[in-house]
Amino acid sequence: MATITDDAAAASAKPFDIVATYNELLRSDPDLTMPIAAIEALVLLLTQSASSTISETLDLLEKSTAHLKKSIPNPIGLSAGTDLFQRYLITTLQRPGQLGPAGDFKAIRTHLLSNGRLFIRRAKESRHKIADFGRGFIRDGSTILTNGGSRAVSALLQKAADEEGGPSAVRFRVIYVLSSTATTSGDSSEEPEGMKTVRALREKGVPVSTIPESAVAYSLGKADMVIVGAEGVVENGGIVSRMGTYQIGLLAKAIGKPFYVVAESHKFVRLYPLGQYDLPIVQHVIDFQSEEDIAESTQQSSEATKNEDRPIELPLSASVDFTPPHLISALITDSGVLTPSAVSEELIKIWF
Amino acid sequence: MPATSLALTPGLASFLKSLKTNPIDTSIENLISLLKRRQIRHSRSCATATAYLLRSVISACRTADSAKLIERVQGVGRRLMAAQPREMVVGNIVRRVLGLIRDEAEDDREAEFALSDVGSESQPQTPRAYDDPSLPLDRDSLSIRSEDRSARPPLTSMFSLLSHPEPEHSLPSTPGSLSPGGRLPGHGPSKDVRAEVLEGIGEIIDELGQVDDQIAAYALDHIHSNEIILTHTSSTTVQKFLLKAAAKRKFTVIHAESYPNNHEATHATVSGGSMHDDDNLGFETFQKPLIEHGITVILIPDSAVFALMSRVNKVILGTHSVLANGGLVAAAGTRVIARAAKVHQTPIVVVSGVYKLSPVYPFDFDSLIEYGDASKVLSYEDGDLVDQIDVQNPIYDYVPAELVDLYITNLGGHAPSYLYRIVSDHYRKEDISF
Repeated sequence: MATITDDAAAASAKPFDIVATYNELLRSDPDLTMPIAAIEALVLLLTQSASSTISETLDLLEKSTAHLKKSIPNPIGLSAGTDLFQRYLITTLQRPGQLGPAGDFKAIRTHLLSNGRLFIRRAKESRHKIADFGRGFIRDGSTILTNGGSRAVSALLQKAADEEGGPSAVRFRVIYVLSSTATTSGDSSEEPEGMKTVRALREKGVPVSTIPESAVAYSLGKADMVIVGAEGVVENGGIVSRMGTYQIGLLAKAIGKPFYVVAESHKFVRLYPLGQYDLPIVQHVIDFQSEEDIAESTQQSSEATKNEDRPIELPLSASVDFTPPHLISALITDSGVLTPSAVSEELIKIWF
Repeated sequence: MPATSLALTPGLASFLKSLKTNPIDTSIENLISLLKRRQIRHSRSCATATAYLLRSVISACRTADSAKLIERVQGVGRRLMAAQPREMVVGNIVRRVLGLIRDEAEDDREAEFALSDVGSESQPQTPRAYDDPSLPLDRDSLSIRSEDRSARPPLTSMFSLLSHPEPEHSLPSTPGSLSPGGRLPGHGPSKDVRAEVLEGIGEIIDELGQVDDQIAAYALDHIHSNEIILTHTSSTTVQKFLLKAAAKRKFTVIHAESYPNNHEATHATVSGGSMHDDDNLGFETFQKPLIEHGITVILIPDSAVFALMSRVNKVILGTHSVLANGGLVAAAGTRVIARAAKVHQTPIVVVSGVYKLSPVYPFDFDSLIEYGDASKVLSYEDGDLVDQIDVQNPIYDYVPAELVDLYITNLGGHAPSYLYRIVSDHYRKEDISF
């Protein structure tokens, strides 16, 4: 973690680069989620800036957030963090109490600046909380189908497998869907997302079977439930998650297996996608090409034209899809087991 | 089922009678064995018995310390729930009482902080506001109470990540923190807690008595003239609901008889015969059956439900308990009806008091189903057969939330997906698993 402070120190010399900070934070700590990294980046930003008035700070935050969102290919997760941060600042200032009403801006500033570590710790703790809530879902003899590299799911499964998590370890099996997009994107040396969890579970004595995405429908008959993670939970209770989650949701619904989502409540994001193609990201999953186009594109790539104005594309290996709420049985969050419709209420609580 | 019930058979009435004379521990044992032997079996009877028992427990508990009260109630509650884990209303009532104690303790502390030494007179105002036993007011006040509670900690949820480290002290969650050191325990303003809690339990008991009438008040919104309504089992909540509508409108009721566990009671309900359930005697004075209001009632076997469903406008069902995810546990056969209604796109309305709403999440559906007397399916006269086949008589069905269109509780109509909200209004998080 020393890298961050070093980084911050180095950044003080040159103008603060929020995008670099955000990326650095994510790289330095693999356990960090995108919203928390965004919050951390904003905290560091405030440390750097000398803003002393409320509106100056809010303005700075707004500008940096917009910049950050524009520079990151998938801003859904991080906007949950930046929104939360902004709303927290505004509500605290409005609320009468020890930190408000507008009475002591300095106090809230110092609170935010001095507690950066605390936020990260709490965010990680919330994963354990989720694991406690979700442990009851995993019963002896059950088989769980999961996908992706969600750390919350991993924490939940490992907690269930752990001896000390409860009266005794649950004897369950896991079917792990491994994504094939990572390998097809040319980066064959990298192991597919989730292998770390698979190894950790096997170490704990949990029998794990890894299947490709094409075998989900075939394997679902042997599974009792599906548990997936999420990158962002949107307003209507649907989730934005790793590509392939939507089809698992559809299949689970068709076969009648419960589909649970594990997500921290700081991932709730104020976004109302109407469908797959209504997400604020650009990803060329579907790319129609004729022979001509291919020839043209190879020519172009050799020229390596870089257009600054174009929004940044999400690489295929990091592409996401949207799972609508009617496919989700329940969301296991750190504030309890929620129905999808409860998400909007949580969001309303902080926005209005 | 002790159908030939004389006044001597143990049941709710005899339990309530004995509660006044017996020492408290005997009463606890008494109720535990009644629950275990299923001599108290209807949801409301269980709820009432639990509420009365807890009232005696608290009035016998000569302490003013809320932490001790909570501990005592938790202890009794655990034993009751262990006696009949599938009777979820018992746990619900215990949780509500625990919530009451916690509320009072917090109110107390708040008042104490605010006006350090005014004494007990100023605090009870908030609870007394929903004290009025009159029917409509009580309903209003219930919702006020819930709003009030939900409005109080608005910043606990997503902001908890960023919030100041200190504020936790204002929202105590464990019994241990309820009596912070440095305060004089036992006397002063907190003396009043017990009385307030007893009063609160009185309100719960009142609510249990009125719940059917409150639900019935919504009947005219849902039952229209010349509709064909299908119902199932002899649920008094449903009967009152239909009767209320019958006073103003003419409609047809198709009544599935729910053989083999509830058919006798259903026949009695339809015909208005005298065989009324003894358990309910405490509340129910005998009522005129629907037919006397000029309603056409058609009694059908359960197997005919699908055939008739295409003609039905609405299905109204009673329930045993409702779960936090919007699913419900109801008399066996309910799921078949719900499924048939879904196939025909017939709306399914479930009427249920809020006291049946359990914060329990159904992790394991099978464990919720209770199995009853196999002799009702195959009587002992057929003893030869019994040796050769396995006879089962499940009493309940689990109906998933997506099969239900609307819940009508004493607080109004709710979508199944909204029930989590009512759960969080009525039960404290820290009590959900105690």
